[in-house]
Amino acid sequence: MLTLKNVNKAFGTNEVLKDISLSINDGEIVSILGSSGSGKTTLLNCLLGLVELNSGVIELDGKDITQLPIEKRGLNIVFQDYALFPHLSAGRNIVYGWRNNPSVSTQEEVDALIDLLDLREHLDKEIHELSGGQKQRVALARTLTLKPKVLLLDEPLSALDGVIKESIKDTIKEISEKYNLTTIIVTHDPEEALTLSDKVLILDGGSIAQYGTPQEIIQHPANSFVESFILRQLHVKRDNILKLFGDQHV
Amino acid sequence: MFKRNNELKLIYILVFALFAIFLLYPLVLVLIRAIQTNGVISFDNIIKVVSKERFLTSLQNSFLIASIAALLSTSLAFFLAYTVHFTAVPKAFKKLINVIATMPMLMPTITYGFAIIYTFGKQGVFTKLFGFQPFNLYGFNGLLIGYLIYTLPVAFILIKNTMTYIDKKQFVVSILMGDSPLRRFFHTIFRPLVYTLVIAFIQTFFLSFTDFGIPAAIGGQFEVIASTLYNQMLGSIPNFHNGAVISLVMLVPSILAVLVVRRIEKMNVRYENISEETLPNVKSKNWICGIGASLIMLGIVSVFAVIFILPFVKEWPYNIGFSLDHVKETFQSANLLDVVKNSFIVAVLTAICGTVVSYVAAIISARGKMPRFITGSIDFISTLTNALPGMVIGIGFMFAFKGTNIQNTYLILIICNVVHFFSTPYVMIKNAFMKMNLSFETTGRLLGDSWFGTLRKVMIPCSISTVFEMFSYYFINSMVTISAIIFLVGAETGVITTKIKELQHFAKFTDIFVLSLLIFVANIMMKSLMNHLTKKESEKRYYVEVK
Repeated sequence: MLTLKNVNKAFGTNEVLKDISLSINDGEIVSILGSSGSGKTTLLNCLLGLVELNSGVIELDGKDITQLPIEKRGLNIVFQDYALFPHLSAGRNIVYGWRNNPSVSTQEEVDALIDLLDLREHLDKEIHELSGGQKQRVALARTLTLKPKVLLLDEPLSALDGVIKESIKDTIKEISEKYNLTTIIVTHDPEEALTLSDKVLILDGGSIAQYGTPQEIIQHPANSFVESFILRQLHVKRDNILKLFGDQHV
Repeated sequence: MFKRNNELKLIYILVFALFAIFLLYPLVLVLIRAIQTNGVISFDNIIKVVSKERFLTSLQNSFLIASIAALLSTSLAFFLAYTVHFTAVPKAFKKLINVIATMPMLMPTITYGFAIIYTFGKQGVFTKLFGFQPFNLYGFNGLLIGYLIYTLPVAFILIKNTMTYIDKKQFVVSILMGDSPLRRFFHTIFRPLVYTLVIAFIQTFFLSFTDFGIPAAIGGQFEVIASTLYNQMLGSIPNFHNGAVISLVMLVPSILAVLVVRRIEKMNVRYENISEETLPNVKSKNWICGIGASLIMLGIVSVFAVIFILPFVKEWPYNIGFSLDHVKETFQSANLLDVVKNSFIVAVLTAICGTVVSYVAAIISARGKMPRFITGSIDFISTLTNALPGMVIGIGFMFAFKGTNIQNTYLILIICNVVHFFSTPYVMIKNAFMKMNLSFETTGRLLGDSWFGTLRKVMIPCSISTVFEMFSYYFINSMVTISAIIFLVGAETGVITTKIKELQHFAKFTDIFVLSLLIFVANIMMKSLMNHLTKKESEKRYYVEVK
């Protein structure tokens, strides 16, 4: 279980995170949803340990990790642009961290991961030869070989096209389920957040606007912000799509 | 469509003619002189020169010292650039590194030599302060320090620029992947930089190998190829054939360098995204790098300090009270004022002509949609001028234009500088053009502009900050250069740097430092002016956008 207690962060006089408290259960997929400037990237950096908190506590499985350096936290991240090493092949990228810590995963586990992510045939390719979706999967594999307790995904779908987007969504769900992996996804897209996650954390101006399951958010929006900015967008999308397919689907 | 092509073709012919007459023709003459004895083509001359022991020693010396200087300079520059990019030392300190590491570019190399003498020599500042002379400075040691200071700025700028294009997220990934510090350093910093480090090594090697100013001041008995060449051409018993042969030998490493750079190009690491990720703050690293960088800067400043001190004391080292006498004397000497005037005229005109030439050359190669052999030929000229030592250009010009109307004129100096320093401004503006929206010309034409109209109203305003940079590059380099023009100045057209060489024989070091300070101040002013203009220009444009 990952718990945040009264987390505050300010850069100078600019308060970016205000009194954030929440807990995430093991194996849950949680999306952090907000527009730019809402504090979602800062929250991610705080979890990761790149940014120091002004006050508050972060606990993982009951252990205080607030002061731990980033490599000792048990969290890992796949960046939006994947940050793959351009001078290494796909395969070498995948085993990069595992080679530092061979005891974390067995050879069979790494092989299973490569097959699960359908990367077997791409191992010898250079990074620039891979498609966006393939890069995403290589980055996922590279991170998962280290068996993090919590996986952070920074805008995992924003660089991908339509169909690939849907298949990566399924992959993320599959992995989370299979490894009982707590997954935190940062996104600015309400559709992504609500269709992908068990719970959604909506940030507005550094505070929590609402934290709940997609159903709760749709049926009981906590305030006018959630209603006007999040739900309205989804309604417009739904109406447009329904119009497109005609009446038979209503 | 046809009309535009005609304009570009005309420009191409003019540019190409310029370089054919003032680059290729002189070079061919150097080649002919080297392989021709009494009107017959033979390699006798070459064999004769190359088998001389004195020549071989100077060649060996040059290789040795240039390699050591290049290695040290690249390492120090890497350290400074690393401190700027990968540590959390205070911002003001990073700015200071930028200023001090590039400061030597603003002074002629011949001055460094004299500055080193007055710092570490028997009467030097260091020797006076600490009571002992740290090492024998004439020859190897002095040259090495001079070359280091001379080449550090170039290596620093190269490495620093590439470091901005390193994806800092990789650093975070490496930490999360559990890398040891060594493995992290290799994969996130060293490996992406290898290409640039090799380039920096080659560039700094080449600069040291071909520099004339430093050995002229401080070489002593340690002969390097540049001093040998100078003696052959302008020494007591000139021998132009030998000079031509030595010029060719000097060219060999440059040609090799170009080939090596081509070969290793594939080692270049390209990131698809570059992100400024927050780096974890490691205090011990900040301290180590901060102290190391301070020491390097202290070294540079301590050598330069003397240039700022000597002109303002009564009589070094016996009476060190403050006095403006020397400065006044210099300004009262009509002879010295003349060279100052000459330097300014040549520098300003070089900057104007050079900027125009490289600008139009880049338009043709980057925006002209011209056939490959045309863009290729311009790129070739750029590579060639980059690889050519100034001394070789100077000697070529001497062979080509002695006895013509342009001998002993400003014009020959200006053309020589324009050709000599063509490469860097050309590459600068070409890169700027490549990034510019490709549809500008078409849009301009569709909106009823003539080709020159689009040039004036769109292309130039959009690249104006680069134009200012090019202008200041040409100005500064023509203020500090000596290697090519030493062979070309006449009695009436001497510039500051060549005057400094002359003053050396009369041991007038205070005058030398006053003149060097003048160059320094002029260059600083030019740089600030260009920075100011760039800023003003970008503010203006911002205003328009907001409206």
